[in-house]
Amino acid sequence: MNRAFQYRAASSYDEALGWLAELGPQGRVLAGGTDLLINIRAGLMRPETVIDIKRIPNIDQLSDSPTEGLVIGAGVTINELLEREEVIQHYPLLTACAEHLASHQVRNRATVVGNIVNASPCADMAPGLLCLDASIEVRSQAGPRTVPAHTFFTGAKQTILKPGELVSRILIPATTRDAQGGYLKLKRIAGHDLGIVGAALLKHGDLIRVAVSSAAPTPVRVRDFSTADSLDTVIAETQAAICPIDDVRCTKEYRLFMVGVFLKRLWQEVVA
Amino acid sequence: MIIHVTVNGQAYTRETTDYKTLLHFLREDIGLTGTKEGCAAGECGACTVILNGKAVNSCLVLAAEVQGAVIETVEGELKDGKMSVLQDAFVQNHATQCGFCTPGLLMSIRDLLNRNPTPSVHEIKEGIEGNFCRCTGYVQVIEAVLDATGQSEKKKELHHVS
Repeated sequence: MNRAFQYRAASSYDEALGWLAELGPQGRVLAGGTDLLINIRAGLMRPETVIDIKRIPNIDQLSDSPTEGLVIGAGVTINELLEREEVIQHYPLLTACAEHLASHQVRNRATVVGNIVNASPCADMAPGLLCLDASIEVRSQAGPRTVPAHTFFTGAKQTILKPGELVSRILIPATTRDAQGGYLKLKRIAGHDLGIVGAALLKHGDLIRVAVSSAAPTPVRVRDFSTADSLDTVIAETQAAICPIDDVRCTKEYRLFMVGVFLKRLWQEVVA
Repeated sequence: MIIHVTVNGQAYTRETTDYKTLLHFLREDIGLTGTKEGCAAGECGACTVILNGKAVNSCLVLAAEVQGAVIETVEGELKDGKMSVLQDAFVQNHATQCGFCTPGLLMSIRDLLNRNPTPSVHEIKEGIEGNFCRCTGYVQVIEAVLDATGQSEKKKELHHVS
């Protein structure tokens, strides 16, 4: 690494939160490291100390029940999610999102929690978590608090997290367990790539939920629809809810157009 | 800090800095230079090693994080001075040209074969999606994996650009 920093491995939440409070902006949480270490190398972050949370007991909790829903601890990697039978069986939208995230090597390190804490507009797990109405459990020395995923993101790479806070778990309610869903992502190549634009659709009974990545400063969830709404309504309201930009990868117009194409495909696959 | 690891079946103890990546630890502190640094950002896969049974980009892991770990690198493919079946297949199929991506590709494929001993062409493509090769166009690499796994007949599914 081109920049010097200290490494500390926390053995408990209390220890990690104490260090975070003590170090302030000079401390950064290290989980998978697939964003943090790149940011440090690029000079975008200059922590004096990284705090490894992977040795905290039960940080890799990944449990599911018909009453409590799915709990994803901060140490759970994308591949651990993809390999878990309960997730494959009961949360197909989550695995659809996870399959699109980076490469096999990155998925072996990158964590689900890290993907949302990094808060990229193109975070692949975000559309699935938004559609599933996930809650984000935040801890600090002041105690835990839980916030809905759709209020977690505040801007590009910005979240509601305050100094001294970390995300400990993602909680997915049991209400949409077994909901059908899919996620489609436009890329420049067939292999791993950042998304140009992506759309997720969830169907549970009469409920339809839509979320979009790479089409606004944050991942966006649109209002709840129902199967009584027409596909045209869903597409029009989704396109009105996002504000994509022109950039090196494609134009604003193409992003808007492809959101419509993806929703049509997902509708045919999941709803029709 | 002092790091204890097992690499290719051999135990090592080395003093290193808190901020050294596993990639540089392997190359500089242990002296195993087969693992390459390409992009240093998790894009190219040249630095792929197998960490506790899972393929990872060693440029995105700190040596400090792997205390007590078991690691396999490309050097571990060589057994008693003989190349592995997979390495032989790479040679036979011209799957190595400049060679820079080869150690990472071999480790990704080793990880794939540990999970799935007879992968389909599609599964091979997925298994190496995190490894960039700018010479071969990948077809020869896939052919090598098919040969190494006794599936040479599937080579007809592939198209060479003439």
